Parts: sequence; C-alpha cells; structure tokens
Amino acid sequence: MSEEILKALTQLFAIITKQDGGVTVNERQYVIRFFQQELDQASIEAYLERYDKFSGYSEKGPSHQLTIAAPSVKDSIVTLGICKKINRTLTQKQKVIVLIKLLELVGSDNKFTPQRMEIINTVSTVFNISADEYKLIETFVVTTNMAELDFSDILVVNAQPEKAAKKQKHIQTDIDGNLFFLKVPSVDLYFAQYLGEESHYLNGFVMQHNRIYLFSHGSTIKIQSGNALYYSDIVADFNEELQTTKLSFNATIDEYRFPNGTVGLKDIVVAEGPGKLIGIMGASGAGKTTLLNVLAGLERPTKGEILVNGYNIHSRPDKIKGVIGYVAQDDLLIEELTVYENLYFNAKLCFANFSETEINDRVLEVLGNLGLETRKDLKVGSVLDKKISGGQRKRLNIALELIREPAILFLDEPTSGLSSRDSENVIDLLKELSLKGKLVFVIIHQPSSDIFKMFDKMIIMDTGGYPTYYGTPVEAVSYFKRATHQAHSNRGQCETCGNVNPEQIFNIIEAKVVDEYGQPTNKRKVTPMQWHNMFKSKFKIAALANEKEDPPQSLHIPNRIKQTLIFATRDLKAKISNRQYLLINLLEAPFLALILSFIIKYKSAPGGEDYMFRFNENLPAYLLMSIIVALFMGLTVSAEEIIRDRKILKRESFLNLSWNSYLVSKLGILFLLSALQTLMFVLVGNLVLEIQGMTLAFWFILFSTSCLANVLGLNISSAFNSAVTVYVLIPLLLIPQMILSGVLFSFDKLHTVISNKENVPFVADLMASRWAYEALAVYQFVNNDYEEPFYAYEKEASIADFKSAYLADEMIKRNQFAIDHYQSDNDSTRNEVRIALSILRNGLLNESYNEGLEGQNLNTQLTPNGYSKEFGNLLDGYLLNFRKHYQNVYNEQVKTADLKRTFYEKEGFDLNEEKNNYYNESLADLVKNVNTKERLAIENNRPIQLIDPIYQTPSPNHPLDYRTGFFFPKKSFLGMEYSTYTFNSVAIWLMTIALYVMLYFELLRKLLDTSGKVTFVNRK
Amino acid sequence: MNPLVIAETSETPNILMDKAQGKFEVTGRSLIDNASTFYQPVVEWLKEYAKKPNAETDISFKFEYLNIESSKSILDLLTVLDKIKGVTVTWYFNEDDEDMEEIGEELAELVTIPFKFEIYS
Repeated sequence: MSEEILKALTQLFAIITKQDGGVTVNERQYVIRFFQQELDQASIEAYLERYDKFSGYSEKGPSHQLTIAAPSVKDSIVTLGICKKINRTLTQKQKVIVLIKLLELVGSDNKFTPQRMEIINTVSTVFNISADEYKLIETFVVTTNMAELDFSDILVVNAQPEKAAKKQKHIQTDIDGNLFFLKVPSVDLYFAQYLGEESHYLNGFVMQHNRIYLFSHGSTIKIQSGNALYYSDIVADFNEELQTTKLSFNATIDEYRFPNGTVGLKDIVVAEGPGKLIGIMGASGAGKTTLLNVLAGLERPTKGEILVNGYNIHSRPDKIKGVIGYVAQDDLLIEELTVYENLYFNAKLCFANFSETEINDRVLEVLGNLGLETRKDLKVGSVLDKKISGGQRKRLNIALELIREPAILFLDEPTSGLSSRDSENVIDLLKELSLKGKLVFVIIHQPSSDIFKMFDKMIIMDTGGYPTYYGTPVEAVSYFKRATHQAHSNRGQCETCGNVNPEQIFNIIEAKVVDEYGQPTNKRKVTPMQWHNMFKSKFKIAALANEKEDPPQSLHIPNRIKQTLIFATRDLKAKISNRQYLLINLLEAPFLALILSFIIKYKSAPGGEDYMFRFNENLPAYLLMSIIVALFMGLTVSAEEIIRDRKILKRESFLNLSWNSYLVSKLGILFLLSALQTLMFVLVGNLVLEIQGMTLAFWFILFSTSCLANVLGLNISSAFNSAVTVYVLIPLLLIPQMILSGVLFSFDKLHTVISNKENVPFVADLMASRWAYEALAVYQFVNNDYEEPFYAYEKEASIADFKSAYLADEMIKRNQFAIDHYQSDNDSTRNEVRIALSILRNGLLNESYNEGLEGQNLNTQLTPNGYSKEFGNLLDGYLLNFRKHYQNVYNEQVKTADLKRTFYEKEGFDLNEEKNNYYNESLADLVKNVNTKERLAIENNRPIQLIDPIYQTPSPNHPLDYRTGFFFPKKSFLGMEYSTYTFNSVAIWLMTIALYVMLYFELLRKLLDTSGKVTFVNRK
Repeated sequence: MNPLVIAETSETPNILMDKAQGKFEVTGRSLIDNASTFYQPVVEWLKEYAKKPNAETDISFKFEYLNIESSKSILDLLTVLDKIKGVTVTWYFNEDDEDMEEIGEELAELVTIPFKFEIYS
C-alpha cells in the first residue's frame, strides 16, 4: 500500500471512529494492529499520531467528544474525497478488503451505531459496491445470529444438523460455535469468521474470535476436532455449477512401459471429480509429460485403465470424443492467421450446429475471457517474428481448447517461458475454468508461492515414474518436512507472509548424502523407491464412484464435405495473408518462363536475320525444361505443407476429424495454385517462343504433372519430420525424372538391364516426365496446324518406305541365308537358320499384302522343319513383289500429299509460311528419330523399326500390353487404340491417384517407421 | 437552452440555472434523503450546458443546511462543473456557521474550481 493510501485510510478510520461517542480503546488497538501489519515499527508512531489527531483521541478518554451528536457534513465530504482518491489507486478486490476492514474496526467493540454505518455505507457507494453486496458484507460482519444470514453466498459450518436460514449453505461437523464463510461474488473473494470457543488453525495460525480473515487460494482451516477445510472444497460448496456437472475420472496405471521396454510410470492412481485444478510436479525426467499423455489417452498404459464416467478412454472413443482437451507445450497456432481467425476456424470445426453469428459470439466471448479481445486482429506471427507476446500466445493456445469446453483439460507446462505475471494470469484462468466444473490437469514447473497454492491437488512424481505425493499443495511441504523430521513440520507456509516455497519439496526429495568432507555425493538420502513405499503406506486413494451418465460433450463435428471446405478456407486465408509466399509462388512461374524462353530465343531463321519458330533448335529442350519446372514447382509448394501442419493436426486429433477431408482441402488449394502457375508459365513461354495453337494442350499436361508433383510432395511431407530432409529429398525425386524423360538420354541407349530397342523401358514408365514429354512432343508434331492435314499421308508413306527400303531387303537377305543353309549339319548354322526363319515369320506377321502367298501357312513353313527350297524360292519371289508393291504405295501417298499441297496453295494458303509458324524441324527430327544410324534393328528375332516412331502403330502382344516405342502416336490397351496425348494424360492422373492412396494410408511413413525399427534392432 | 428553475420547499433548495442571463444559483436547505434523484435534473442540465458553456460561469451556493446525502450530490455537480472552462464557485455561509465554511473548504479541495467565500447575515 502506498503512503498516500495509508494516510487516506488513517483518516477514514479516524472519521468513522470519532462518530457517536468517539474512539474506544479496542478500536484504537485495532488500528494499531492494522498499522503493525502494514508498516515498519518506526512509522507506526507517526501514523498513530495522525490517527489520534483526526479522531480527537486523547489519553484522558473521550469525555468531550460525547457532546457531538450528528455526524458532520464536513466529515461526510472528507470521506467522499478520501474514497475518490482510493478509487483511483486500489483494485476492486482491495476496496472490498478495505470495506471489510472498516466494518471490522467498528465491530471490534460492537459499536455499530447509525452515524458510523452511514459513513461506511457512503464509502461502499463510492467504491461502486452494489447495495445488495454491501448488505451481504455488512450482515456477515455485524451479525452473530446465524439465522440472519439468509444469503446464498454464506456458508456456515457448525454442529447443527440443519441450516439456520433457507438460502445459506451449510456443512455439519464436530465444532463448537459457528465458523462461517462469505463469498463476495463480484470480486470472487472469500472471507472466514469464527465465533466460538475452540482454537482452529487457518494456514497454521490460530483464528481469533470475531476477526474476519481473507480465505485466499490454497488456504486450509484445521479445526480442533482434526478435520480440515480446504479452499477448493469450500469453493466447490459455494459453486452451484460444480454440483450439476457429472464427471468422474478414475485412472489406475499399474505400469506404463515405453516402446523400448523401460518403465515410464508405476502404481499411479488418480481419482478426481469435476471442478478440480490438479498440478503435476516432479524433477526433470520424472515422467510428468508421460503421465499427462497417459492420462489424456495419447499413450496406452501397459497395465491399467483410464475411465471417464466409467468408459474406458481407449475402447470407447465414441463416448470420449470431445471430452478431453490437450494443450501441448509448443504453440499449436497457425501463424499466418490472426488471433481471431485461429479461434474462428477451430470453432467452425467443433460446432457444426452453430450459426455464423453464434460462432462469432463464442469466439469473442472466449477472447474476452482471456483478455485477448484487443489483440484479435493481430496476426499470430512466428516465434521469431512476434506480433503478440509469449503470454498471449500461450493464452491463445489454451483458448483453442477452451472454445469447445472440454470437460477434462490437460496442459503441459502452460507457464514455461512466461513472466511471473503472465504465468499467474494463465493459472488464474485455469482456476476459473475449474471453478466452472472442469477438471484441469497441469504440469507445472517452479511455481511461485501464489500459483502453487491455487492448485486443489498436487501430484508429485519422482525419478523413474514413481508417485510420491498426492494431496493439497500446502500439505505437501509439511508432509515432506515431517517425513524427514524437520522442525516446524506442521507449518507449510511462512508465518508472516503466508508464502510457500515449493522448491523445499524437491530439496527434500532429492537431498544428497553428504560425505565426511561435507561435500554432497551422488547418492540420494531417500531413493525414489523408498519415497514410493512411504507414499503407498500413507496415501490411500479411493476410486470415485463412476458417474452413470455419458461424459459431458459439446462437440458437433461438421460432415466431411464441410470439413473440407473449412480446412480449405483456413488454409487459403493463411496462404493469402502470407504475402511473400503468395508473391513468390505466383511470380515464380511467369518469371521462369520469361527467362527460359528469352534466353533460348535466337535468330534461328536461315540467314540469321530473324527468329523463326520452325528452325528453333531449342524447342525439344524447352519442352523438357517446362516439365521439370512444373514438377519442381509442384514439389516445392507441397513439400512442407503437412510438416507445417503436423502440430495442429496433433491437437485436432482429439476432435476425430477426417484425414481425407484434410487432404482433399490441401490438394484443392495446391491444384488451384498449380493450375495458375502452369497457366502463367505456358502463356508467357508460348508467347515469347511463338508456339501457336498449343496453349491448352501444353497447359493441361503441365498442370497434370504439377498436380502429380503436389501429391508426391505431400507424401514426403507426411513421411518425414523436418523441412530440411524434405528439401534434400527433392533432387532425389527430380533427377531420375530428368534422366528417364527420354530426351536427355535416348531410351534405346540405356543399360541393357533396363532397356530394349523396342519399347520404352519399364522404369521410365514410372516417371511422369516421360509421359508428359511424349504427350507434348507427339501432340505438337501431329496436331499442329501445318502437319495435321498431311499426317495421314506421311504416315502411310513412311510405313511403305520402311517396308520397301529396309524390311524387304532384310527379309530377302534372311531368306537367302535360309535357302543356302537350311540343310546344314553345323549346329550354329542351323541355329542361325532358325533365327532367320523366325525373323521372317515375325516380319510377315499381320502383313496385309500377301499376293503369291495365298494358301501358305507361314507359321509352319517358316520353321526349320517346315521349310523347303521350293518355299524359299516362292518366298523370295513374293518378297521382290512386296518391295515393288510398297514402292508403289509410297509413290502414291507422296503424290496424293503433293496434290493436296498444290490444292491448298491454289486456295491461297502459304504453306511455307504455315510451316514456319507451326512446324518445328528439331522436334520433327526428334520424333522421327532421324539421327539414328541404323533404321532397323533385330530384337528377340523381331525386326524393329527404329526410324519414324511418330508414324508407327502399336502392335500389342496381349490386351494389357500398352507398351510401345517412344513417340508412337497411339497407344493400345484392351484392344482399343488411344491417342498418345489422351493415354499419357490418363497415365499421369492414374499415378496421381495411386500416390493419393499412398498418402491417405501414409504408406511411406509406415514404411519408414518399420525400417527405422529394423535398424534399431540391428544396432542392438 | 431553456433555464432550469426548481422552486424552494422546506426540504429542498431553490434552483436557478439560466444560461442567457448567466445566473446559476442554489439557495436554501437541502435535507432530502434521496438527494441524488432530486439533483439528477441539475446534473443533466449542466452536462448539456457543458457542451456549449458561456465564457464565464459563476455558480453560487447558499445553504442554510446541508445533510450528508445532499453533500454527495453537490460533489457530483461540482465534478461536472470541474470539466467546464471558466467556472468559479461562490460559497455563501452565515457568519455564525463555521461548519458551512469548512464544508465549502473541503469541497474546494476536491475539485480544481476556484472558490470564493462570501459571508451573509
């Protein structure tokens, strides 16, 4: 109290006591005692002098004062002045205490005269204490007759079987006289008074007759007969809400072992009802967090069970859903959202049954309760880039759980890293919650005396997971002092200031044996086992009767579609509010497209004067780069997503939300982003490089690729623990895509283990890049405006040309060899004949031209046994005709195409111009494979056409055989042919779906987990 | 702004609040139990007046008798006046009535308004 206030109070005491007959000795004695509490010895004199001056007290007695009858208006005005002064400095709680002091002062000699009471009443009005409350307080102080205390905020403890007045609360116990309590509802303070002959101890000090005591947090009154009245019990008796909450929490943990087999917890019993604030303390490594996790149901006890209203927390999740709240030690906030939004979306996920305004009201209410309303529009910000203080972050964390009002709340060190003021605010808040009927478990570390006393119970753990204490906090100090036979063991707190030193407990528990030189050794005086044995003999925790009702829940989880929408809006909001992220992601694509296309645009026209699309030799490489960019962007935007959300997911796991909804919302947003990115990329790139008529086709392939990368990114994001790991993994995923794209390294020149000359290697089929590239290249070549009308003729011509120029020669050569050697005795020659015949058979398979071979069964006759010289000669004749026939076909096709060209030219089309604009020579060379030295190869006794893959048709071996060479224009599957573009798009999306299934079941994570375990065992 | 006039009774004072004429007077006895109800219109009037006050406002109090309840209300009036610029209070007291002089002195300490003390007989 400041000097100014003390002076004001002195004056106030004086004014009151000088009314109606003046100061009595007892009253003056009371004032002196008050000064002794507040002042040092030296100052008391000065204040007392001041008091005597104002009150007109003299040693001779109050004789001359007796003449004054009415209180003077002057005194009243002075009182007003003093009270206004006090109003500006003291809190409402302090003012209530001052008021009670004034009443007690008058009560010290029971001189409750009208004038005095009028002045006190004036004080009360100026202090803004409501008339009803003043009446309550006044009656509590003045009356000695319990029957007059007809208030619901009065609790009387006496030996009577019945209460004396209707509204008052009553406890019957073995006690002389009356011990009665007052609750001042507006400030939530409790006061106690005793009128009787026995000596009862309030926090270890005798309660004096007719004195009013503040019954603060954690106080205990030991009554003479041996019982104790605890603060929490008294508060519970006052609190009507508690009596209606039906909650029982019974945990029996006989043993809990960690996955590696070491014991984590041993012999723990916790039995609690509603409205309790339970602290868990212990040295580091004592198993506090483990205990909390097991109690909250995050971990399963190895032996034992946890029952909430009789329902096993593990086997009946349907009944427990939403009953439990858990606040982890780390912040589980979405940093990009504001304080309000964090709560808002959380509320949306919890209360599907609420309207928008109800949710808004609920959020504002919770923010108000936690003193965060002024911060509601601030972004939460990261730990490094703080927008709100640490205490506010912590409170917001708690708010996220509070908003759905779980009946049981677990908090892991909610005060760590907070200032003592913030810590106190947080615990105050939890205390208030418990008073509303919640059961709250809190791990607390080095609490201050005030905080320590606020707990209803304390569970103290010792190293190795042994419980050593379970009971009221202040008692804990006495218990451990007693156990080690220390002096003053029955006094838990300081005599004068009421402080408790929780550190004492740990000093006692962990006291070390001292060696002969006075140095502490590593050996403990009392081992955890010994403490535990003592605990077992001293504490018998009876299980609570299980409540019959279902535990109280207030949760209404929205359906999956709504969840998806809520997740998506939340995510979108977070992303939009992160301007840097948004800007980089949206500008990345057009910027990359710009530099890429700008750099590779050169004066490509013959003569080097101009840029011409047709002669841009960089196009094939550009297409590959586009795909790599799409993959890269897709991976980078998604790779961190789940890692970042993991903490939030852990919290939300208590809500049983849908994982699928979450993933779908993620994908929705990522796909949207990918669509935008790839669209901008294609628009800019195609514009600069003057690629015409391809925008939509290119975009769709790049978009599909990017989506696949999104899902792939989410897979690794869900499987790995840190963003760094994920980013290191990106090259590992991207480089194979580049190697096996089919462009950098030709598929027919790869290691023989993986490749053959006929088909695209199977490993490459696992690469999205290969499907995407083929689709782009084939589509650009086949479907460009110039090529489209002539493609069919060129295709026929190409096939005919190959047959007449290469296949016919090869077959004639092989046939000649067969004719010459089919009767040879040499094994190796015979084998070569067999091969030659096999090649002939395969070469003529599905051949439509068969003039001269009618009626011949090639399958039997083209075998070493069925072959004959006559047949050889017949075949030779046929093959010469075959060559001629296809020469004619070729000539015809070329002629028709030429006619068509001339026709177009006549119509006014400048075909050369068209070709310059739409056709790219380099790409054409690539898809025609003109650079290959050999046009024909033999693979597995089959003649394989290496040139012009773009004009070939697939020849499946069976209906499921979709495989073809690279750049085939069509793919065959189940007897149908599809254009490569369509087929490849579908292939990419099928891979995307497969990856999604992997993601949904978290297969990668599970795989990593099992492999992690294997290495662990091996190391052992 | 209309003047506020409340006629004197045996228990309540005469009240005149007239902005146009610049007259602000409270005269007589104030012995009422529910003083705050009685003075409420005066407080309201002054609050309205505070929005557009005259450059100078001299309010005079001339009490024969004042009870405790009324003294609280007078302090309320003074608190409103305290926020207006150019306010002065003239406090009249009977030369025999030392108490009334002291009441005025105490009130003067609680507000920042300058008080003039005048004796009447």
